[in-house]
Amino acid sequence: MQWELNSDRPVYVQLIEQIQAGIISGYYKPGDKLPSVRDLAAEATVNPNTMQKALSELERTGLIYTNRTSGRYITSDEVMIKKLKGQSAKDQIMEFLDKMKLLGFNSEEIIALIKEIMNNTE
Amino acid sequence: MSAILECNSLTKKYASLTALNNINLSLERGRIIGLLGPNGSGKTTLIKLINGLLVPTSGTLKIAGNLPGTATKKVVSYLPEKTYLPDWMKVSETIDFFKDFYEDFDEKKAYEMLDRLHLDPQKRMKTLSKGTKEKVQLILVMSRKADLYCLDEPIGGVDPAARDYILNTIISNYNENATVLISTHLIADIENVLDEVVFIKEGSLMLHASVDDIRTKEGKSIDTLFREVFKC
Amino acid sequence: MLNKLFKHEMKANARFLLPLYLILFVLSLINRVIIGLDIFDGALAIIPRFSIFAYIVSIIAVIVVTFIIMIMRFYKNLLSDEGYLMFTLTVESHQLIISKLLTAAIWIVSSVLAVFASLLLVFANPDSISEIWYQIRLGLTELDVIFKGRTTLLFIELAILAIFGLIHNILMIYLAIAIGHLFNGHKLLGSFVAYVGISMVMQTIISVLAAIVGSIFRESVTNVLSLPNFIFPIGIFTILILIVLYFFATNYIFRNKLNLE
Repeated sequence: MQWELNSDRPVYVQLIEQIQAGIISGYYKPGDKLPSVRDLAAEATVNPNTMQKALSELERTGLIYTNRTSGRYITSDEVMIKKLKGQSAKDQIMEFLDKMKLLGFNSEEIIALIKEIMNNTE
Repeated sequence: MSAILECNSLTKKYASLTALNNINLSLERGRIIGLLGPNGSGKTTLIKLINGLLVPTSGTLKIAGNLPGTATKKVVSYLPEKTYLPDWMKVSETIDFFKDFYEDFDEKKAYEMLDRLHLDPQKRMKTLSKGTKEKVQLILVMSRKADLYCLDEPIGGVDPAARDYILNTIISNYNENATVLISTHLIADIENVLDEVVFIKEGSLMLHASVDDIRTKEGKSIDTLFREVFKC
Repeated sequence: MLNKLFKHEMKANARFLLPLYLILFVLSLINRVIIGLDIFDGALAIIPRFSIFAYIVSIIAVIVVTFIIMIMRFYKNLLSDEGYLMFTLTVESHQLIISKLLTAAIWIVSSVLAVFASLLLVFANPDSISEIWYQIRLGLTELDVIFKGRTTLLFIELAILAIFGLIHNILMIYLAIAIGHLFNGHKLLGSFVAYVGISMVMQTIISVLAAIVGSIFRESVTNVLSLPNFIFPIGIFTILILIVLYFFATNYIFRNKLNLE
């Protein structure tokens, strides 16, 4: 998995986002076993403490659970994942709409533009 | 007592200058801490004091509650900026040396790390490139189960791939009981690995805070903050 | 810990000195053979001459190089970059000094012995050996008469004087190097000046001491027995004090004034 980290936001926040993105995209499938904290941290080139913080937060929201003897797993709760996917999509759309509004487009123009581009790329 | 390092009014003066001025600092275990400052700011002086290579002019410095001495040298693993291994030794001989003198040295781990680098242990130090020598030293230092690792400019003067290797080694060797103190002026490359940062300017402590706090409060990277604080 | 340091020291120096001894040994053999074969006449006479010359050079080299290595080793291993390694080991600074001192003394003595052995190898034959042996026994008998039976004591004291003297000289050099380290620049010059300075002070002390002893034991000075009875013991005692002084001074510098670049 490609980890892209900016330097002006807390690392653990970005790690949470990227793991969530991994779950949504299917890179981490429901029920998958995660590598150890240290391996994940080495993969992302971050501090194991920080990775631990991110994983704990994800555990708190239920996306990850810990089996005491065998490690950390992605939740098998497909409903939760779907909800996460939906929320992520919403965030992307809101961001997109904000940007389009800044460029000066109104809602009808935006929808027309989307339809046109989607037809061309199919 | 969980603090691995405690400095109280620590001062080091030479005839012509004050290298460290009244440093009050406490470092906890289980952290990766960046000691950041320009060249000549006092970082190396502090690290030498920690390792008993210098004696304070006034104030105290304690490692796990002890003054620097043979007891603290047992629990502190030091990577200096220089090549400090004898040139004539083979890599395997340097491993034997560390094994001989340090009880906490893990020989198996050292050989594994050498193996991953495809380094022939029968080679003599003097035949290795500068970057390779530094990697060997890093491997030796990180193969000890110490409580405090002091790395003085571990990534300066090496290529980006070597830098990644070094950071990776530091991360993989992390343990919750030990603290890694990294002194460097190359901040952007290691920010994401640090828990906390300590800024030292002209011998004085300017800042000691967690990386997350700084990024949240200031909304900028440590590198950016550093440039602001140390503007010429 | 001291054992480990000592072992490491011996090994580090062996890599220079053993090859040197080997060369000496080989040249000794060559010379013995060449001297034995009395066939080099006329122009070929240059061969035995060159061979003896090389041999003499190698003898001088062994002694000089041993000496130089001991000095360089102390400086390089403790006060240059390697110092970062040695002074962060879990050993006390006095152990570092002792390990080097002992190793230096052993190698110097062994070099002298190696030279003697090589001389024997080149020149000894049954006749000369029994002649030398005879002369030694003759000399010992005469000494026994002069020293009224206290010859054994004399030799013991001489041995102790020699050993202490060697240790004293080595430590004086070490102290001079340590003092030189205190200077920020021109460390070599500083060491040299320190060495000269310490020598002069030491000479003065010994002269004063000799004058005092001489005036106290006035008649005894002419009595040759005073050598084993008073003079040598006083000399041993003085050198011992100097040894302790140099050691503590060097250790003090390492513990409190160390400043590696």
